[in-house]
Amino acid sequence: MIRVDRLRYRYRAAPLPALDGVSLEIGRGRVHGLLGPNGAGKTTLISLLAGLLAPQEGGMTVDGEPLSAWRAAHPAAIALVPQDYAFYPMLTVAENLDFFAGVQGFARRQRREQCAAAMAFACLGAVAGRRAGELSGGLRRRLNLAIGLTGAPKVLLLDEPTVGVDPQSRRFMLDAIERFAAAGGTVVYTSHYMEEVEAVCADVAIIDHGKVLAAGPLAEVKRGGAAALSLKLARPLPEALAADWRARFPEMRAADGVADFPAFAAGGLAPLLAELAAAGIEAERVEYGAPDLEQVFMQLTRHSLRD
Amino acid sequence: MWKKECLALGRDRHGLAALFIMPAVFILVMSLALAEPLSARQTAIAGYAVLDLDSTPVSRALDEQLGATGAFRKHERPSGEADARRRVERGEAAFVLVIPQGFARQIGSNRTPELRFLLDPAAPPALRDGFRQQVEAAVIRVWLAHVLERLGQNLMIPDLRRVTERVGPPEIVAEAVGLDESRALALPSSVQQNVPAWLIFSMFFVVIPISAVFIGERQRGTLQRLATQRVSFGLVLAGKFAPFVLLNQAQALIMVAIGRWLVPLCGGEALTLPHDAPALAALGLLSLAVSTAAVGWALFIASLARSSEQATVLGGAGNIIMGAIGGIMVPRFVMPAQMQPWTRLSPMDWALEGFHHVMLRHGGIADILPAAATLVCFGLFALTVAACLGRRGRA
Repeated sequence: MIRVDRLRYRYRAAPLPALDGVSLEIGRGRVHGLLGPNGAGKTTLISLLAGLLAPQEGGMTVDGEPLSAWRAAHPAAIALVPQDYAFYPMLTVAENLDFFAGVQGFARRQRREQCAAAMAFACLGAVAGRRAGELSGGLRRRLNLAIGLTGAPKVLLLDEPTVGVDPQSRRFMLDAIERFAAAGGTVVYTSHYMEEVEAVCADVAIIDHGKVLAAGPLAEVKRGGAAALSLKLARPLPEALAADWRARFPEMRAADGVADFPAFAAGGLAPLLAELAAAGIEAERVEYGAPDLEQVFMQLTRHSLRD
Repeated sequence: MWKKECLALGRDRHGLAALFIMPAVFILVMSLALAEPLSARQTAIAGYAVLDLDSTPVSRALDEQLGATGAFRKHERPSGEADARRRVERGEAAFVLVIPQGFARQIGSNRTPELRFLLDPAAPPALRDGFRQQVEAAVIRVWLAHVLERLGQNLMIPDLRRVTERVGPPEIVAEAVGLDESRALALPSSVQQNVPAWLIFSMFFVVIPISAVFIGERQRGTLQRLATQRVSFGLVLAGKFAPFVLLNQAQALIMVAIGRWLVPLCGGEALTLPHDAPALAALGLLSLAVSTAAVGWALFIASLARSSEQATVLGGAGNIIMGAIGGIMVPRFVMPAQMQPWTRLSPMDWALEGFHHVMLRHGGIADILPAAATLVCFGLFALTVAACLGRRGRA
């Protein structure tokens, strides 16, 4: 169990802290999704967990032991798989794996075994002799993941590992992540693809402005969101009605014949449909109920752009 | 770590070709371009012509005297002043001496002769003064011949006027001073004097490939990944150090080989290498020290720069400034006295001093040790600062 306790970190010259009292529990053998808009503090948290940054306040422990001491005792136990293709394009797949295993100080035989295991895990055997720079996007992602596995880590930190790959490669990556967790590994997974997170993560934490807005098992986080309403209309809302609804439901979004109400009380549904009927607009589809992860995320982080 | 660097370098064929071909072409071009202007032989370095408007035996004697020095390349006689001006404008001749009508009369009546020369504004002042002195010397010889002839006539000694022809110009022997007084040194050629400077300058340009590799690693996140794998930044730097020092040595060898064998094939003078083992060892040691300084400096720039563009500007401009201060572009002895001490600030000056000790003064290991030690210290200091910068960047 990784416990993050009231972690605070502020970059030099930054007016606000990137992390402001973040507390989390990351269970062993589970995939933990870390969600947040750009600049929310996800990368800072990942960097602290990976040992690239040192905490300024608060602490991190693994099974009760301070993370720094645990990492010193198990140098290869936490591996970061960055979003970038962090390998050498002029080296072959096998040479990259060998190099990154080698710098971790493994003996030759152990190194060979771990490279073979990582290559098999990511199904890279067929391209072992090819230069990394010549691989397709999907194969590069797999090599990026495989390099992270060369030290046989117990914790894998994945920073948007499926960006820019085709659906088949994405499915392969998600399966691989699930396999890793099923074998007892812990995964911290950041992504902007909500459906991916819903598909693969047992737990999620939504952070914004350096604070945890919601955290826990996926189902609980989704239950914590207010019920949402989505109306598919036969024709666009008349201007007067749209203005009236915007005044009464500030978070409503209407576009392309669809009106979304991120948080909507059930009692208001019948009067709303009556207003539509009075305006002569037919509702072609009405969806009401528990929100999906994206709706919860948007409710918590609001809709405003961050970049 | 070094194995990865060697593999990566070996596979970048285009980059490798550029790394070897560019300094090679540079050395070849510079050696050939400077061979003539800075030659130790009396090779004519600029063209001149004589427009003789007097057409007397005295004016022809002046023309001959001027041509006899061989210091300047003589061009065909212009047909008139307009033709003379056209030739200077076109850059065909740097100077045209105009001998006016009545020149012989002025000499005959012991009046100061009035001469003028047309010159190309691009001609350097030193060249201009040199030409003026050659003209003055020739006029004095003509005038002296005339005086002696008249004196001979008056004293009834007809041979007196031939004294100047018999005596001729004085013989002046130049003796190069080496570090070993027991050995006589040959006068160095321009290639011998200039190749070390350009060699050092080229060796320091290893900053460009090193920073490109380094910044690529940073931008791809490879350095970050290595940091999570608890690979120290110092080890990353050390991993690059040895392969790039070797690469730099290979560059130096190729450049020396070009100066020794290719430049003479192209019509230039050959670079002369020391023959004895101690001097060769001193040359090798010094070259290694220059590589240590150049690679250390390159790793410092690579750690400092945030982008390839920044590294190119910082590294390139830094090298040019070091070259300008260090006597690479302008020899130290040409600089104003108050500026000469500043050359000691540039590692290129230390390197140049060491190379001159071996290549021109036939020094041995003991002679180059101070320069080599300073260069190694500079390289290691730059490496330490680079490691500190890297650590700070990670913090």
